[in-house]
Amino acid sequence: MDDVYIIGVGIHPFGRFDKSYEEIGAEAAAAALKDAGVAWQDIQAAFMARMYLPATSGPRILRRLGQTDISVIDVEAACASGGAALRQAVLAIKAGDAGLALVCGTEKMPRGFMDPSMIYSAWQVELGMSMNPAYWSMRAMRHMHDYGTTAEQIAMVAYKNHRNSVHNPFAMYRKEFSMEQILGSPLVCDPIRLLEICAPNDGAAALVVASGRKMRELGAHGIKIAGVAHTISRYSSDFRCPAESMSMTIDNVGPTEVTAERVYSAAGMGSEDIDCFEVQDTDAFCEIEIYEELGLCPKGEGGRFVEEGHSALGGRKPVNMSGGLISKGEPVGASHLGQVVDLVWQLRGTCGERQVEGARTALAHVLGAGGNCAITVLEC
Amino acid sequence: MLADRIAIKAGLFSGPLDELDSLHLCGSRCGSCGEMTLGSNLACPNCGGEDISQVALGDEGRIYTFTVVRHRPPGNYQGPEPFVPFGLGLVEVDDVIRVMAPLKAATDQLEIGKRVRFSPYVLRTDGEGREVIAFAYDVVEG
Repeated sequence: MDDVYIIGVGIHPFGRFDKSYEEIGAEAAAAALKDAGVAWQDIQAAFMARMYLPATSGPRILRRLGQTDISVIDVEAACASGGAALRQAVLAIKAGDAGLALVCGTEKMPRGFMDPSMIYSAWQVELGMSMNPAYWSMRAMRHMHDYGTTAEQIAMVAYKNHRNSVHNPFAMYRKEFSMEQILGSPLVCDPIRLLEICAPNDGAAALVVASGRKMRELGAHGIKIAGVAHTISRYSSDFRCPAESMSMTIDNVGPTEVTAERVYSAAGMGSEDIDCFEVQDTDAFCEIEIYEELGLCPKGEGGRFVEEGHSALGGRKPVNMSGGLISKGEPVGASHLGQVVDLVWQLRGTCGERQVEGARTALAHVLGAGGNCAITVLEC
Repeated sequence: MLADRIAIKAGLFSGPLDELDSLHLCGSRCGSCGEMTLGSNLACPNCGGEDISQVALGDEGRIYTFTVVRHRPPGNYQGPEPFVPFGLGLVEVDDVIRVMAPLKAATDQLEIGKRVRFSPYVLRTDGEGREVIAFAYDVVEG
């Protein structure tokens, strides 16, 4: 079957802006179209990833580019919304329904903790069981207990990502912090600290995707989507969903491992074949566990992996060269597509100071509420 | 006369709401695969089985993991004002289930493996004058 390629990318910086979500989204979409060298009128299907925006956000954003009569749908899959939207575009192209599609992710979110009623039941909110960092922290606490992962190793993830962000003009915080500053920042939920979590914010990212045939017809040069997968967590596999209870007799494989297995199989690659990674670092500990779940290191050794510098720029498996969500912020609907945009630039070799030398393959990963997980693998 | 009472979530408890000493968490056991889930459920989330029986869960448990919530949770949080940091954990019960629950003890007493006990309480009175029953786990001394 014909492969699907990304022939244009665009981003609206992640941060906080006195602008409507329509303006933010349309800016990224227009940038992607310009990068691809195609007109909005050439697009045959469009998918808008978003979580906290109102119904019909896609049409409301994209009509700024012109009111055509194609299918435009909003896609919501929590933190994995962008991956779910990209998957829809790839399916539409592979089905022969469209030769050229636009995938855009847009979000505009208030400061502070996310509105708990979006993902928690009313009774959980009343009892205070409704803060996302609490669930990440419980996971961290158990990992520290089982494997001896340390607070310093967790802080090293934040140190690395904040440090990388200095070179990313599209990140919200472009500031390096010392280990002392990170470990001295206030605890949010033990053992996770303020400089180790990401903040919700505004932003958008967009891709123009094309069938191989369409790409050749346009004379465009694309980055191949080697695989894209989206899953939600199966029974008793991840209490961060957030779950009300877990089984003590069944310990199913978590969503990152399941999604990775699917995407590796589709791409005909394993983690050993992939040169660089952008992964969900909503909290610094999460990245440690993802090293293990993506197969970058054995179970329990994620702390040592970051400590030994393997995930740093210049290490053997660089992770979050963009600065990660910890420094970019997390505009939920836009976060995965933002990762993909940055990785397309990595594979084009245009990332400047944050460039991974000679990168030919790349992986983007997100994980969130409902156990929603998406992974995209790119190849040039 | 006792006030009317209502569970914070329908099906969460087993036993009479007006006798908190005899109240337990309710579990749903699947007749097909044997899995136990929290609350009163119609189908088994593991195998889809519909042969479900409701049972009272044991009151004793152990902390599998926990955190301390150090900022007031967003939205309609009904805990003490001004806000006091509190524990939240997964509690292992009857060797079959881990229950996500608030932990009542002082936060410096919390550790993995610590014994805890089910502790239902009156959270608030609702708009119709009914007492809303919630639960937490309290650390067992010694």
